Amino acid sequence: MFKDLDPILHSQLRLAIVSLLVSVKEAEFTYLKEQTNSTAGNLSVQIQKLKEAGYIEVEKKFKDNYPQTNCRITSAGIHAFDEYVKNIKQYLTKSK
Amino acid sequence: MENNLTPEQSLALIDNMINKAKNKLADDGFLLIFWGWLVAASALIHFVCIKLQIEWGQYVWVTLMPFGGIFSAVYGIRQSKRVKVKTYVDSYLSALWIAFGIALFLTIIFIGLHGVKSTYFFLMLLYGIATFVSGGILDFKPLKIGSLFSFACAVVSVFCNETDLLLVIAVAIISSYVIPGHLLRLKFKSENV
Repeated sequence: MFKDLDPILHSQLRLAIVSLLVSVKEAEFTYLKEQTNSTAGNLSVQIQKLKEAGYIEVEKKFKDNYPQTNCRITSAGIHAFDEYVKNIKQYLTKSK
Repeated sequence: MENNLTPEQSLALIDNMINKAKNKLADDGFLLIFWGWLVAASALIHFVCIKLQIEWGQYVWVTLMPFGGIFSAVYGIRQSKRVKVKTYVDSYLSALWIAFGIALFLTIIFIGLHGVKSTYFFLMLLYGIATFVSGGILDFKPLKIGSLFSFACAVVSVFCNETDLLLVIAVAIISSYVIPGHLLRLKFKSENV
């Protein structure tokens, strides 16, 4: 029933990450971890998958001698998210 | 956890996440309050000094304004280090206030050339523009209403003498910065309990 849904986005944590990133300009790894209530390990894996799909950009830098990871959504990510929401809405309309 | 989301759960999750990011009010009003009181205090001290024929009144500006500039810069750098998420609203506000700061600086350094009246007129217009646009970006009406007082004060300033101009600028800054700033801070606190 979810054939048309993007498998990259149709996962709880990845969808949560992308939903947060569409609303902001950029977010730190720690912010995403807090908002999604996920573990650092799982979040890292899902961020890597989104990055490989070209949906997000990841920038690693140092702030006050501590490593910092910033994530921001790409235009491909926004497009994929739009499509995903459209497909979900279509499914809901059909099922009513 | 992976692909077991129903469409309803997907939409609920998206809605929840977007609201988490959206509900963060971008500005706590601190710098508005700080600059509002600093400028209002400077204008009122200068006014009282003129009335009491104390000569050093004008030096209140050259003392307090650079202090305000340095304090704001340090505050801004510290805040940016603490921030974990940057919203589009943050970047619009930052661009607006940087442009405002540059325009304000250029207006003030040519005060000798344009005269006090013209300079204060343009300062109040700049206060009005910056607070009106901030009010629009933050969707916060008191800032927009306050900015209208600043525009009105700019018009009034055209018909004032240089001493009364100090009272007009105090009214402009209190109505466009101090009052909306305190209201914004209250809203920020209530949304971030």
